[in-house]
Amino acid sequence: MSTMSLEPVRGRTDEMIVNMGPQHPATHGVLRVVLGLEGERITRAVPHIGYLHRNHEKIEEARSYPQVIAYTDRMDYVSGTQNELPFVLAVEDMLGIEVPDRAKKIRTMFFELYRLASHLVWMGTAMLDLGAISPFLYTFWDREIILGIVEKTAGARMLPNYYTFGGVRRDVHPDFFKDTADFLDHMERRMVDYEHLVLESPVVHARTIGVGVLSKERAIARGVSGPVLRASGVAYDVRKAFPYDAYPDVEFEIPTSPDGDTYARFWVRFQEMYQSIRILRQLVELTPKTGPHKGKAPARIKPPAGERYRAVENSRGELGVLVVSDGTDKPYRVKHRGAAFSNLQIVPDLFVGAKFSDSIAILSSLDPVFGEIDR
Amino acid sequence: MSLLQEVWQAVKAIGTGMATVHKRVYEDAPTEFYPYVKPDLPPVSVQSLALVENEDGSERCIVCLQCERACPAQVITIERHRNPEGKGFLIDRFDIDLVNCMYCAACVEACPVSSIVTIQDFEMSTYDLQTLKADIDFLHEQARRARQWYSPKFGVELRTEDGRIEKAPPEMQPGGLAELLKPAEEVDS
Amino acid sequence: MNPIPIPEDRHFRPRLLGYDPQKSRPWLERLVYSAYVFVFWLIVIGTYAGVPALFEALGWNAGWGFVLMRALQVVLLFLLSAVIALLLILVLRKYLGKVQERYGPMHYGPAGGIQTVFDALKLLAKEDFVPAAADVLTFRLAPAVTFVASFAMFAVVPFASGWVLADTNVGLIYLIAVSTLSAYGVLLGGVSSGNKWALIGALRAGAQMVSYEIPLALVFLTVAVWAGSLSLGRIVDAQLGLWNVLPLALSFVLYVIASLAELKHIPFDFPEAESELIAGYNVEYSGMSFAFFFLAEFVELFLLPALIVVFFFGGWHGPLFGLEPGSLAAGALESLYFTVKTAVWVWIFLWIRATLPRYRDDQLMEFAWKAMIPLALFGLVLAAYLRLIWR
Ligand code: SF4
Ligand code: SF4
Repeated sequence: MSTMSLEPVRGRTDEMIVNMGPQHPATHGVLRVVLGLEGERITRAVPHIGYLHRNHEKIEEARSYPQVIAYTDRMDYVSGTQNELPFVLAVEDMLGIEVPDRAKKIRTMFFELYRLASHLVWMGTAMLDLGAISPFLYTFWDREIILGIVEKTAGARMLPNYYTFGGVRRDVHPDFFKDTADFLDHMERRMVDYEHLVLESPVVHARTIGVGVLSKERAIARGVSGPVLRASGVAYDVRKAFPYDAYPDVEFEIPTSPDGDTYARFWVRFQEMYQSIRILRQLVELTPKTGPHKGKAPARIKPPAGERYRAVENSRGELGVLVVSDGTDKPYRVKHRGAAFSNLQIVPDLFVGAKFSDSIAILSSLDPVFGEIDR
Repeated sequence: MSLLQEVWQAVKAIGTGMATVHKRVYEDAPTEFYPYVKPDLPPVSVQSLALVENEDGSERCIVCLQCERACPAQVITIERHRNPEGKGFLIDRFDIDLVNCMYCAACVEACPVSSIVTIQDFEMSTYDLQTLKADIDFLHEQARRARQWYSPKFGVELRTEDGRIEKAPPEMQPGGLAELLKPAEEVDS
Repeated sequence: MNPIPIPEDRHFRPRLLGYDPQKSRPWLERLVYSAYVFVFWLIVIGTYAGVPALFEALGWNAGWGFVLMRALQVVLLFLLSAVIALLLILVLRKYLGKVQERYGPMHYGPAGGIQTVFDALKLLAKEDFVPAAADVLTFRLAPAVTFVASFAMFAVVPFASGWVLADTNVGLIYLIAVSTLSAYGVLLGGVSSGNKWALIGALRAGAQMVSYEIPLALVFLTVAVWAGSLSLGRIVDAQLGLWNVLPLALSFVLYVIASLAELKHIPFDFPEAESELIAGYNVEYSGMSFAFFFLAEFVELFLLPALIVVFFFGGWHGPLFGLEPGSLAAGALESLYFTVKTAVWVWIFLWIRATLPRYRDDQLMEFAWKAMIPLALFGLVLAAYLRLIWR
């Protein structure tokens, strides 16, 4: 248990206990890690979470089903509508609501747009953690375009409350498909720049290759998911394993890397952005321009008593929700399975033995979002 | 030899990176000069809430309490009494705590008469949060100042120069491709 | 009915001092930025030509009069370093803004031209806080050590032929001695702050110094061997026909890398590393003491590129258009050449800063000890050999 203890070890003068966070600039919000440092080498690392706890799951028990959707948004605030989907899917399953094909495709488009937005934020902040300022501002401008497209249709930028039972709240803006196609053209041009600045940069190579290696077995044992898992060589993706919405209709690949180091996680996220662009390109063509955006849903949502688990692959991994209904119009229990929360478990494993500077690179390669971790 | 190659690769990559960054010098920054130039927000953008009155100054709201029920943050407080002459109800109190509101627009969706609407006035910063606890006067004032507002039932509505309220023409409506294409089809047939 | 009135002035109105970027006046912006450069140039001319001429006219160029003259020159140079810091901070922010798809400072003065003046005033007005855990004397002394060490480098940097405070024949040795001192300020400041992050930053600064100083000294030696003198003036003179950058290309590359490390500049900014150590050694500093760390950093950002120009790019050399060497006009023109060359190098440093992430501290150490020192030695031998067969 010595790795969990915060007390200085008696008789050891070469170890310095430092408190990284919760106001540290590179902890992506409010993570606090208590580090034992031996010079630059980390001997012990104890992460502390909960500084952003807002009691989501308990609040959601006291809200009716449509109201819960607005709350799920607030978990992973960089990937907007992605949080709404598992809850919406679970309730649709319980009620047996039919979702029109077009609504499914629109949902998937928003899902992938937010994946791009989230990965752009990751890229910017990861490069900021490594010390480069410029990519941060470039990526935020690209994300701005995505948020603009979303705002035109959904009315809000980060927390749109857009999905609803049976489809989406409102039909897309007339410019939506054109805007998206234009943005994809722009994004493809920008991806070349990002490759130059991030993936090809020798400084990034020096900082990330061979740093924070997570073996396949360890990754599975710790229950990590998403790009972190795929960078360790496990080709598990909810979009392929348990397809939902329009994913069966589109072609895409699951990029994996056998290395499991920080660079592999960078690389996998990059390839995912290319896959997102590819999915969006197909959907811009496939989605009917007119048609229903919402299926028939009962006016009062009262799922029959029972429970349902649905998961989606959000930007950070498997985001699941367990909805337990007791037959009333309020859920009996809503349990979220956060991807970033599960991914954060490997922090002590990866930190111990690494250099202090490496810990920053490792943490940013896990891409934690504390709205979801602390909930 | 491979060492030299590696060094050359690194130098080349740094050079490409620097060229990538330098390219931006010749491009204009996309910055918006916000306080000088107001951004052009899409009509559906949820920035604040307002309570619209009819043109003659009478209340549009029928005090049906739908919005109060729909609100996930439970920040709407409405009190009403029966109208002594005639049907329906009269408002005693209509408060929205805009501090705790999460601008999800669920209330706007629930309203059967498009009385509560979203507006694009986002300049709500204040030194005193108490000023954002909106009562009915505040919400009416917000609506009077607004030039256009949106609700899913009526779409975008405009306030004309002489104070009348009009439904915006179809090309200004964001209600989706279906709504946009309808008039064109009618012309064809 | 409404207990709390609707606030009338919720809407932002631009203040008087704010400069409306919509009504941009390019000529005014150019004027402000050229004014800085002009003031810089004027101070250089005044320091190196004006003051000696004045004292000669007064007949005070011996004994105590000479001491007074030097003192006046030093005061002017302090002014110069303030102008350099104001200008460089502004240029840094504007340039980073430009390459990062934003504008940088915009509101105070045309195109933000006097923003840094306000920033400096703000720093002066702030409380100079000393943490309870700090060692007060060392804590107070450290910024002074850093600044004085950087500032002292001015003494041997020639702005034009003969325009130098002390053209000693041990100029290079003096440079090595003085530039090493500035790392001591960082070390002392970090250790005395009583903050663990500052301590790590200080130790990194120490580790960094022992790695870059040796290749740097070896490159100095190479330049000295090539020019046959330790005096900076002679080194520049020796480059009249051929700039050192061609024959000493290897040493030149090593020198650029080492001076990036000495500047604590990206990609080697380990002692302050905002995203790792928050601000490293200066995390506890505020107000005036912090301003001096800042001033020292930007004076070095001018002086190290200036030394690159002196050692490898022919210093003040450039076409004189028939002006008589040694005259005031020729000196002014030469100092202009020197400034322009330095400005190009400052720009390259800023460009690197805009592009690259940060290496890890042990990677610099490894690189310095395992690659730079052998290469610098090789460069030294090569230069000595070339000099034997060529000259
Ligand atoms: S926008 Fe949402 S939170 Fe705000 S008052 Fe309306 S329903 Fe309630
Ligand atoms: S839903 Fe509309 S009509 Fe009903 S009380 Fe609310 S604002 Fe009034």
